[in-house]
Formats: sequence, C-alpha cells, structure tokens
Amino acid sequence: MAGAAAPAPAGAAPVIELSGVKKRFGGVVALNGVSFSLRPGEVHALVGENGAGKSTLIKILCGIIQRDAGSITLGGETYDPHTPGDAKKAGIQVVHQEFNLLPYLSVAENICFEDMPRKAFGMVDYPTLYAKARKALDAIGLGDVDVRRPVESLGVAHRQLVEIARALMGESRILILDEPTATLTARETERLFQIIAALKAKGVAVVFVSHHLNEVFSICDRVTVLRNGESVMTADIAGTTTDQLVTNMVGRQLAAAMATARDLDTGGRTALSLRNLRHPASPHAEGVSFDLHYGEILGIAGLVGSGRTELLRSIFAADLPLSGTIERDGQPRRYRNPKQAIRDGIGFVTEDRKEEGLILGMAIAANVTLASLRKVSRLGLLDKREETRLTRALGDEIRLKYGDTADAVSTLSGGNQQKVVLAKWLANNPKILLLDEPTRGVDVGAKAEIYALLRGLSEKGLALLIVSSELPELITLSDRILVMSKHRIAGEVARADFSEERILNFAYKDERNHGHH
Amino acid sequence: MDTTDLTTAQAGSKTIATTTKTVLREAGIGIALIALIIVFSFTPHFLSSSNVTNILTQVTINLVLSIGMTFVILIGGIDLSVGSVLSFCAVVAGTVMTLPGLDPAVAVFLATISAIVAGIGFGLLNGLISAWWAIPSFIVTLGTLNIARGAALQVTNASTIYSFPAAFNAFGSQTFYGIPLLFLIALVLVAIGWFVLTKTVFGRVLYGIGNNEEAARLAGHNVFFYKVAAFTICGVLVGIGAIIYMARLNIASPIIGIGFELNAIAAVIIGGTSLSGGRGSIVGTLLGACIIGVLANGLILLGLSDFMRQMITGFVIILAVILDKYRERLTKA
Amino acid sequence: MKFARLIAASVLAGTLAMPAASYAADKPVVGLVMKSLANEFFKNMLEGAKAHEAKRGDYTLKAVGMQSETDVETQINAIESFITQKVDAIVVAPSDSRALVPPIKRAVDAGITVVNFDVALDDKAKQEAGLKLAFVGPDNREGAKMAGDALAKKLGAGAKVVIIEGNPGADNAAQRKLGFMDSVTAGKLDLLDSRTAHWETEEANTVFSNMLTAHPDIQGVMAANDSMVLGVVKAIEAAGKTGKIEVVGFDNIPAVQPLLKEKKLLATVDQFGQLMAANAIDKALGVVAGGKPLEGWVKTDIKLVTSDDVK
Repeated sequence: MAGAAAPAPAGAAPVIELSGVKKRFGGVVALNGVSFSLRPGEVHALVGENGAGKSTLIKILCGIIQRDAGSITLGGETYDPHTPGDAKKAGIQVVHQEFNLLPYLSVAENICFEDMPRKAFGMVDYPTLYAKARKALDAIGLGDVDVRRPVESLGVAHRQLVEIARALMGESRILILDEPTATLTARETERLFQIIAALKAKGVAVVFVSHHLNEVFSICDRVTVLRNGESVMTADIAGTTTDQLVTNMVGRQLAAAMATARDLDTGGRTALSLRNLRHPASPHAEGVSFDLHYGEILGIAGLVGSGRTELLRSIFAADLPLSGTIERDGQPRRYRNPKQAIRDGIGFVTEDRKEEGLILGMAIAANVTLASLRKVSRLGLLDKREETRLTRALGDEIRLKYGDTADAVSTLSGGNQQKVVLAKWLANNPKILLLDEPTRGVDVGAKAEIYALLRGLSEKGLALLIVSSELPELITLSDRILVMSKHRIAGEVARADFSEERILNFAYKDERNHGHH
Repeated sequence: MDTTDLTTAQAGSKTIATTTKTVLREAGIGIALIALIIVFSFTPHFLSSSNVTNILTQVTINLVLSIGMTFVILIGGIDLSVGSVLSFCAVVAGTVMTLPGLDPAVAVFLATISAIVAGIGFGLLNGLISAWWAIPSFIVTLGTLNIARGAALQVTNASTIYSFPAAFNAFGSQTFYGIPLLFLIALVLVAIGWFVLTKTVFGRVLYGIGNNEEAARLAGHNVFFYKVAAFTICGVLVGIGAIIYMARLNIASPIIGIGFELNAIAAVIIGGTSLSGGRGSIVGTLLGACIIGVLANGLILLGLSDFMRQMITGFVIILAVILDKYRERLTKA
Repeated sequence: MKFARLIAASVLAGTLAMPAASYAADKPVVGLVMKSLANEFFKNMLEGAKAHEAKRGDYTLKAVGMQSETDVETQINAIESFITQKVDAIVVAPSDSRALVPPIKRAVDAGITVVNFDVALDDKAKQEAGLKLAFVGPDNREGAKMAGDALAKKLGAGAKVVIIEGNPGADNAAQRKLGFMDSVTAGKLDLLDSRTAHWETEEANTVFSNMLTAHPDIQGVMAANDSMVLGVVKAIEAAGKTGKIEVVGFDNIPAVQPLLKEKKLLATVDQFGQLMAANAIDKALGVVAGGKPLEGWVKTDIKLVTSDDVK
C-alpha cells in the first residue's frame, strides 16, 4: 500500500514553493493568492470544488499560461516557464485530465512522442522505440498492452495509464496528476497507487488532484485546499478529517444529503423489461435481462469494459442491439433510432457530456430544448420566448447557476453543464432516464445537488437506470444494484445487502474464472 | 415593481448584451467592407452609380452560390461541385429554353424549373452519398464535380447554347434605381436563408449537427435527413444561380463556372462561418461576397496589373480569416 | 452496404485497368494529342480529324484530349503512352510550349514521326533539347493583326481601345496579344488597358464592365477569343453603349454568328480549326510513307470574318 513508503521529512527543503500566486482572465479572477510548497518524496493532494482554481494553477506550473503576480521558486531559483517545454526541462511532468494522446498512432509512438529514437537520416528507430515503450509500460504494470496497438483501440482507463507512462518518460522531479482516477475502476486505481508509491520512494514529489477524498486519505501525505482561487488550508493528512476538508472546500457544512439512506419500495409497475438484449460488442448471445420499475433507481456496477455503457446505448438505440427484446410498459418495442426511444419517454444522459451530451458552443437554452424542439416551436418556427421560459423554469427546478439563457453552455462549470444535460431530458417529461456516470467531473457540492435531484425524480415516479464507476455513489442512490461483467449480469445486490466488497466480488467473478469462454 | 419583474429586467439587459456581441461579430466583417469601400472611393468612378450597379451585378452569382454553400459548411461539409453543377444546370435549362416551337414565357418557366431540378438532383446525390457511406463531402463533391462537368459536355457535345428569348435577356439587365433586378432576387434569397437558419427548428438543428453531430443524434434528430437537406438546398441555389448566369450573359455553356466553388467558399469563410461547421451566418456570407466583389472591381479601377490583383485577393482572404480569429477572442472576453 | 462498396471498388478497378490496344498491322497508327475537348474549337477540330480518318480509311486514329486548358500532365502522359504503344506518328497540339519538349524529344528518338500543330513549341527549348521539329499551324499573331487592323480601320487613328487577353502563359494568347499590339502601333490606336479574362465569358463580362467604369471613353475592344466576346458584348449592352463600342474577336465560333449579323461584333478570325488537325495528320502520314521530312513553319490558312460573311 502507498503508506508503506517513508513519509517525507517535515524539515526537508521544498522542491517547489509558491507564494501569493495570482491570475486573472479579463474580468474574472481565477487565482487570488495561492501559496503552498512541495517536499521531495511527498504526495500532496490538491482539492477544491470545480472552479476553485486547480486547473489554472496546474496550467501555470506546466507553462501553458503565465501568472500575473506572486513567486514560484524551484530548487531555490525563480521558476518562470513560458512553454510546456520549459516545464518539462525543469522536471515537471503533468498528466492532464483531458487526454493529449494521438489516437491513430501506436502506444509506443505516443509514449516516446517527445523524444523519438532516431536512426540515420531522421528515420525512426522502431526496435528502440518499442523497447523503450515496453519498459515504460512494464514499469507501471501494463504488461498486457501491446505497444504497437493504436491508442484508438484502447479503453479510457488504459489511455490514462499510457498518459502516465508518457509523462514518466522524461526525468521528473515533480509529477502532477490531474484527476487521474476519474475514469479508473477500483482495481486500476489500486495499480496507480502502487505506481505513485514507487515514484515517491524515488524522491519524486507528486501533486494529486482528485475529487475522491477517500483516495486523498489513503495515499497523500499532505493536503492543500483551494477555494475561490485562494489556498485556504494546508495540513498533514494524519491530522485532518473528511469533514474538515469538505467544510473548507465548500465553505459551509455540506448538507447531509450524500449520506441519507432511502426507503422506497421497488414494487412499482414495470417500466422497462429487457430479455437477452445483446449489444454488437457483446461476446456472447445470452445478453442482458432485467426489469426496471417506475419509482426505482437501479444501479449498474461493473469494471470499465464490462458492457455497462453498451447496455444503455442498446436500450436507447444509440447502437442497434443484435438480438433480444425490449418491452416498454409491457408492450414489445424495437427502436430503430434514438428518436423513437425519446418519443417513447426515454432519456439518456451520456458518459461523455462534451462529446455526446452537449453542444458546447451553443446557448444554454438551445441545449436545454435540443431534444424537445417540438415543444418550443409551431409549424417549424422557433418560439424563442417560450424556449427562454422553459429554460428558466427548468433552470430553477434543478438549481442551475447561469448568467443568461443565451450564454454558451461552455461558460458553465462541469456541475452546471451536467445539470443542463439533465434539463435537456427533463424538458421532454421522460418516464425513464438512463444515466451513464452522472457525476463525472462534477464537484462535491454539485454532486450532492444532483443526487437530491435524481432522488426527487424517482419519487415523482420516474424509473432511473444509473451506471457508475463510483461504488459509494451507487450505494447512496440505488434501490438495487446489478453488477455487470463481460457483457452480462454477474449478480444482483439488494439494498439491504449493499457493500463494496459484495459488489466487487461479482465484478471480478469472471476475471478470476479466466480462460473458459 | 416586484422581484420577478426585476429579474426579468436583468435577464433582458443580459440578452441585449449577448445580442450586442452577436452584432459586433458581424459588424467586424461590415467594418472591413466599409474600410475597403473607403479606400477605393479615392479612385475616380468607384462610387459612381453605374459602377455600383456593376459591382452588384458581379456579386450576384457568387452570392447566390454562397448562400447554399453556407448551409453545407454549417453542417461541417463542403461542396466543391457547385461550379460544375451550375454549368450542368445552365446547359439543361439552355437546351429547354431553346427548344423549337415553345412560347418564350413557357420556355423560360420550364427552363427555370429544369435548372432547379437538375440542381436538386446533384444536391441529393452529394448529400445521399456522403451521409449514407459517411464519406467526407470533400471527396464526394470532387467526384460529382467531374460527373457534372462531363454530363454538361455530353449534353451539349461541348458547344455553347445561345440566343435565348429577348424578354429573358432584357430581364437580366433590368435595374431598379440602379440596383440590378438579379441582385434583388439574391437579396430575397439571403432573407429566406437568414430566416430559415435563425427562426426555424430546421436551422437550429443544422447548427447543432455542425457543432456536435453525435449529441444531436442522441437528442433524437435525424442527422442523415439534415445532411441530405443541406446539400439539396445548396443544389437548389446552384440551379437558381445557373438561371441568373444565363439571364446575365445570354449564353449557357459546359465550360462556364470553373472555380466558382472556390469563390463561394471564400465568401462564406470571409463572412465568418467556421469551416469545421456549427458557427456562422448568412448575413456574414452576404458581407463576405460583397468584399470579394468590391475587391475585384476596385483593384481594376486602381489600375493594378492582373497578377498583383490575384495576389492581393489572396492576401485579403487570409487577412479576413485572421481578423475573424481576433474578433472571436474579443467577443469571448 | 458492404456489397455495394465491393461493386464500387470493382467498377473503379475496371476503369483504371488500361485496355490492351491492338491495331491492324497493315494500317499506320496516328496518335493525336489534343487540348481541352471541353473547348468547342478543339472539339470541332477532333471531329474534323475523325471525319478525315473515315474519309481516307488508310490509317488508325487514336485521340487523347485534356480535362482543361492547362492540364499539361495529361498531354505528357499521352505522349509517353503513345511511345509505349509504338504508334507510327504523333500529331500534337501542345498545351505548353516548353514542358512538352522533353517527351516529344523521346518520341522522335524512338523513331516516331512527330508533327507539331496549333501552337508552336518554343524555339529555345527545342534548341536546348537538340530537337528539330517543324510546326504546322496558323499564324496567331498575323490573325490577331488582321482583326486589330479591321478595328483600326473602322475607328481611325487615335481611337481608345482595350485588349482582353487569354490565359497568361499560353503561347496563342501571347501571340494574339502581340498581333493586337502590332495593330495598335500600325493604326496609331490609343491602348488604355490590357487584362486577362482567362478565355472565359463571365470573367470577360466582369473585367470589361470594370474597365468601362475606369475608362468610360473606350471605343474599341480586342478580345483574344470569341467566348470572351460574348461577355464583352453583354457588358456593352448593360452599359447602354451598344453601337458605340466596336468589338473584334478570334475563332469564329457559332455563338458569335448572331452578333456578327447584328453588327455587335465587327470581325473575328477563322483559322479553320476543323481542318487543322486533319491537315497535320496528312503531313505526318506523308512523312511516314517515306516523304520528305517537314521543315520550319508550315503555315495554314486564316481568314477574317465580318458581317458580310454571315448570311
């Protein structure tokens, strides 16, 4: 476990020291005085709500943008990077939240992209390239990935690890990991923590940015909390509690919403019934079967790649299922496209809101009404007054924080963007909502609000099907949890029996019985 | 005044601010056009009424094609076939118009219909092929560019069609207070295009698809239909453009329209429409087409050599796009 | 869908595969390399050549045209494939008077009789390549001068005129411009401006309208081809100056016949394009049959056409 490595001595000279760092963008103050220091060989958590200034701070450290005021000293000297190249030379490596991989190149080419091994006449030295990449992947325990594979063919989790391997190619004194576990399963996260522990032992200082406080407590030595562009607290993890951190992050006592248990019967009418529904990517014909009831929140757990997203996509006809049947209110249905599913009262909050959920460059109102344009138009003509009214009404209902309904949705924070996605479906008065990672990249405060909102919807009688990689989330929200593994239902856990261990047991069932399919 | 009114008023003022931003975006292109006009107004004759008539006449065909091109570029496509298709539409219409024994009015009417039908045919072809097989429209329309040109040559056996009805010829040179009738027709098309893109569900979804096709599809929109529709609209405008060409020059030939697609693309891009789709406007396109027309006219009046003229036109296209980048930053801040 | 793709692929493959050529052994084979067949002038020329082949019946004609006026590549490829096919003679109308010298040299070296017609190859380029080749064709400069002189005669000395040029860089465009310039000097005309409209109707219309704005007192226009004449005449009509500005052109295409009749076009030049290729083929076959090699410039007929020639 990470804690095994020796904690950094409190008296050691800091590798990097920031003091009073400020940054504004036009009229917006992004950083308003951030100070913290990093000791060699420590894992330092950087936490804060979205918009607290974490991303801006990281961009300054890795030379993408420059600070307006304040000082940064690296190894005793002033550090003032003007390009990402400067930062790399100084030994600061970053794994960004948004991937910077080249999808059509191989894993090896991606890992060595900054420093390709060459032969005469500038030709790429492939044997060396593959060897270097192999070594880099083995070093982080990715022995099962072929370095010649194009990155495009890898899943999200593997891409994340390739990013880390790439960052570690350079000589690193400081490694910054921005939300590294957001897309990882518990097991992959564990592997990452082992890598971090190894780096720590080599004396590398690691900055760990995460929304998951449990992770912060399990691997970090110290923590700095940012709020509204200021560093409001730095402390040793050993003497800190979750409540303390959360209080500092949100600046108020978080509503107990996140912990409330719920007591609903799942005996409502069946809203959706699947029998042997099989996605084209599914390796076997048996598919997936279950019933979803009105007023129920049904959680879907499973590892990345277990077919959870594919299941939602085949219900919604985003991908057409190969075989199997869908019954809606007891009537057989065969949706040919999302349009038909939507008309039948189904909504789908996708995993990747930037790629699939939102039209970032367009107005909030346009996004909210995107799936219900018929409600805000007559004879094909838009009624913009009605559109604005509907957007404002829904915005109030879901407590959306926004300037104007005509502002581009890209100006909103992650949590509010996610609320716009929800509003888009709510505008249609759906009966069933499919949600894929509904709180990914959303800060603690907004998360609690979204949980409350989803509960409210189920109390109104909506049937919710929620896929999530965060087990605490599923445990908090769900009435029942189905665990998927290799594109089938590996087990079902009732609310009374909820525990992470039980769920993970089902999730890893097939992994253990390897080799017979 | 109660609180509800207050918030509405605040929201209202914000809407005005956003509208101002939008207007500013377009005003940027407008300012460029005005600057160009001011520079050229130092040359004699530039502002004379007959020259204004000239410029408007010369802008008309490109403007009509650019309206169609705007629809295609907004969904992230491109149509390289418009010049060739214009030629094909023109020779089809020319053949119909010169059929022996037809009453001139009937001949012109049938010719107009046939040009538009021919344009729709190629628009459908472009749209269906690129949407069904998900082939980049760049390649598909490069193919239809050749098909249409070849078809036009085949239909006419490479000869020029001429001698259209006198009334049709006169119609082409008609002006109202110095404004060519053909240009007024183009302005009506601009107004229709603007209305469709900004006031209708169809326009809204078109922008949505251009920005994020997958999100639009998952929101229940038939992406295939919209793509085909955008190319078909472009085809309709090419058909109308062909009739305008014939009215202006009194000929139809299989070798006309070479390079028209590039002028139309330039007008759309100068007008601030993003080549990757999802952003832009018809009003911008109108201004973009005017910039190209004014430039071509003004540089000749300045007495610059053909070669200098070509170079300057190239520079202006690049400059316009660079300016657009700055304007984008300005309005974002 | 996959099936449809397969069909598309095989159709494409079929098109790309060159059909193996086979010719009757006894008849000589003549390869004809033409310019853009989209141009009416060359299309008529090709038809003349085909009629000629049918009429003589003692040779096989193999003709290649280009996509556009400036498509040099296609011509070079055509000559090279004719060399490979071992034709007896190549008759070529070069699209570029320099770029085609090397492939023609290769053809001559391969023992093929080559006749250059329509546009002459550049003398200097020929010298450098060590190529000796006769040219069969009309004198474009002389033709343009005939048209220009007709204009000068009509307008008188001191008249203000402009020239609408063909494609810059094209030899016939350059020759025609020189011919117009000869008339300007000889007839003491006042040349106000000279611009290209790339042989095209719409561009000529635009360019001439703008010239007319800059120089409202233009009295005469010399256009390097008749397609451009069509655009110029429309611009004159639009400006309400019909009858006040005289126009001369070149090529005598059918579309200008009504203009000649209505006297909107003063004169144009006929270089009997339809016969040009046929004449060149005759000359080439003469050499193949053992006749004397051609030398220098074998000039072909040109004629000034005015309203008197249109009935």
